[in-house]
Amino acid sequence: MTLKRDAMSNKNEFDKARTGKHEELACGEPAHSDEALTQQQITLAQLQSESILQPENAKQELRIGVYICRCGGNISDVVDVERVAETVRMIPGVATAKVHTFVCSDPGQHMISNDILEENLDRVVVASCTPFLHEQTFRGAVSRGGMNPYLYEHVNIREQASWAHKHDPEGATAKAIRMIAGAVGKLRYAQPLEQIKLPNHRRALVIGGGIAGMKAAADLAARGIKVLLVETAEQLGGRLNQWSHVYPSERPAAELVAELSRRVHHDPNIEVLLGWKITEVAGFIGNFKIAAESLQPSMTRPPRIEATVGAIIMATGFRPYVPRDGEFLYRTEPCVVTLPEFIQLMQSTSQDAKKLTHRNQTIRNVAFLHCVGSRQLDGVHEPGADGRLNTYCSRTCCTTILQQALAVRRRFPHVGVFDFNQDIRTYGRGEEDYYAEASKSGVVFFRYNGEEPPTVHITPSGHAQSGALSVAVKDALTWGQELEVPVDMVVLGTGMMPGQIEDLIDQMKLATGEDGFLQEVHPKLRPVELAVNGVLLAGTVQGPMNISETLSAAGAAAVKAAAMFAREDVELNPYVAEVDLSRCCGEAQCVTQCAYEGALSIVEIEVDGEMITRAQVNAGLCVGCGACVAVCPHRAIDVNGWRLDQFEAMVEGIAADMPGQTCASELVSIH
Amino acid sequence: MSEAFVPKILVLATEKCAYPGADAVGKAHQEYPSNVYILRVPSPVLFPEDFYLDCYGKGIDGVLIAACGSDCPYHGAYEQLAARIDQLTSHMNAGGLGIERIRLTAICTVCIKAFLKEIALMSDNLYRLGRVDRKLAGQLRRESLNRLQGSVRALDLAPALQGGL
Repeated sequence: MTLKRDAMSNKNEFDKARTGKHEELACGEPAHSDEALTQQQITLAQLQSESILQPENAKQELRIGVYICRCGGNISDVVDVERVAETVRMIPGVATAKVHTFVCSDPGQHMISNDILEENLDRVVVASCTPFLHEQTFRGAVSRGGMNPYLYEHVNIREQASWAHKHDPEGATAKAIRMIAGAVGKLRYAQPLEQIKLPNHRRALVIGGGIAGMKAAADLAARGIKVLLVETAEQLGGRLNQWSHVYPSERPAAELVAELSRRVHHDPNIEVLLGWKITEVAGFIGNFKIAAESLQPSMTRPPRIEATVGAIIMATGFRPYVPRDGEFLYRTEPCVVTLPEFIQLMQSTSQDAKKLTHRNQTIRNVAFLHCVGSRQLDGVHEPGADGRLNTYCSRTCCTTILQQALAVRRRFPHVGVFDFNQDIRTYGRGEEDYYAEASKSGVVFFRYNGEEPPTVHITPSGHAQSGALSVAVKDALTWGQELEVPVDMVVLGTGMMPGQIEDLIDQMKLATGEDGFLQEVHPKLRPVELAVNGVLLAGTVQGPMNISETLSAAGAAAVKAAAMFAREDVELNPYVAEVDLSRCCGEAQCVTQCAYEGALSIVEIEVDGEMITRAQVNAGLCVGCGACVAVCPHRAIDVNGWRLDQFEAMVEGIAADMPGQTCASELVSIH
Repeated sequence: MSEAFVPKILVLATEKCAYPGADAVGKAHQEYPSNVYILRVPSPVLFPEDFYLDCYGKGIDGVLIAACGSDCPYHGAYEQLAARIDQLTSHMNAGGLGIERIRLTAICTVCIKAFLKEIALMSDNLYRLGRVDRKLAGQLRRESLNRLQGSVRALDLAPALQGGL
């Protein structure tokens, strides 16, 4: 039973009909006795008077600390933060208002926790960036100062003020003041809340058995955590099974796969499902209910399994860009191939081979084209089937192209190699060496402007001559000379595309970036977490990464999940409905609105020996939507943290002529 | 009172969709007028009719309900909300506040253009309509509260209360 702390106390002295032990008189059996009906009408009549809907639980004597962030100029270049502080100091209840360059920094957070202790603050407001970034940070800071974290209010004056009203500093400043006044009003009605604790299922689901999934599963299992690893293919390894040697170590990719898959298969903590697909995901952190279906059901395999897991690691990887038919003559000319196809060709060519051949044709000159399907520009490139341009850099193709170019020059010194790039992005440790070595080995580089990519043609001289194809380029290295290079083969440096996981994205309500890859909460502060609590990112599902980066991300995701499992319970925000028993009359209006089975019901409870009916919330099932709130004629049900009186107070703070003043509602005549 | 009229626009923005959508506008450094105040809400379904009328009574000139639409994370909440706003709008219209001071729309997390368009539309309407009649809004709010309380008598409580629990 969700009981309000002082719900049954007789705190409303002026209004006995609605309080304490008298409430059964007010509305215990509203419809069926004359006395009750009369009493109910009294209640209704009282409700009609303004005073009853004015919440009586507003705390008047407050000591609120307001902290305004400059965000290193992001806010203070537009909003006059000093004036904001001066003005909000005048709002009744505000004990202190301070400005800091970065409130989220350690010194900024210390300032808050120290002030709570030294200045006896009982409420805190921080006006800074969006709450999605630092609401949790500042809840932590106020907790460390000994204050209940839900007596904290966040005001967004960066995304929704300084950045959005850059050319209106006066207006942005006034808005910041009003928004803070609103937050102070909301805090007047705030109550300390406790997080809801639910059991944490100490088992993780890893979706995807590529190098990221294997690494995450192995790391988690090494910490003693049970893992369910689900892969759609019949073997582990993912894309790595298609590569030959990985840069910069030049180890065979198969060795890496073998090493990791041995760890995965032999660890008793890991259960591996190969040839399975996740079909359902529901629930929340600590308590995800998942279902998987077998892609090839057989006598030995059940068609479907269900499981409960506490965390989900997304390691579904990427999908290589496949050029459109005719793009650089791909699928028109057999000797125009993609980078993965070329790697396969090199791998299947015997180490003793003297010649490089493709479809019985000897390759004497080969061209590599960078940025095929990456760094696409509006107006230059055609959007894909989904209408999207891949504007991002795929990050791995430059080094892979140079690795392959160098391999060609070393294995077949008589084969000429021509490289067409916008610029070379060999950014990682040891990767620049490939560029230096390729240059030394005689690879010829051409550089084009992104708006004028090279074009591939069939040479008029025909297939028998030296080069059936040619690459035409406006070369920036020779000040824009238009050159044509005859070659036998063109390798398209294709990049990465987001994997096809729309159904998972849909079911789990995951955020994707403009590029279609899954989007982390924050690129620097929370790089492997998704906005859905308990769902983590490992590898190229998040965007193009090389193998080292993928392994780092997978390791980080495993650590994040392990840290989450270190706690016995999962703590959820207490934003669920709560019934004010001193106001509830058991009329069940709210129950008719609730769409969640079991979340809200009418129960009989005993008060002073008499049975009365009241609404009751099941906090584990309530989602906190508030559908019940709007229909209660007695304002007897509210969503904690988002109470109706709090919203009314916020509007008052925003709308008042002067911050801190009341609007006096309709009593004010402005005409 | 001699100051030029600048309408106060309140945006009730859902935590899952429209609020991050409004953030995206700022992140993209797109601008809109500073007299637009955005409140983060789990779902606007929690507001009764009288809340909106209270906003007008307090001097808010226009309310834009920026919801999740079909992406609403709560079962049935968007439909319930839409039905309520329908009712509210007809009450506002009948009561003389008109229908242009309120608008229900869906804004997604990346709907920058839609957000700016809705703000511009509401802003244009409000400059044309002028200040909200706060007294009238207060009157309508009282009527709305009466209706809410009347709903108790109208509701058939038999299944919940008569047949035992």
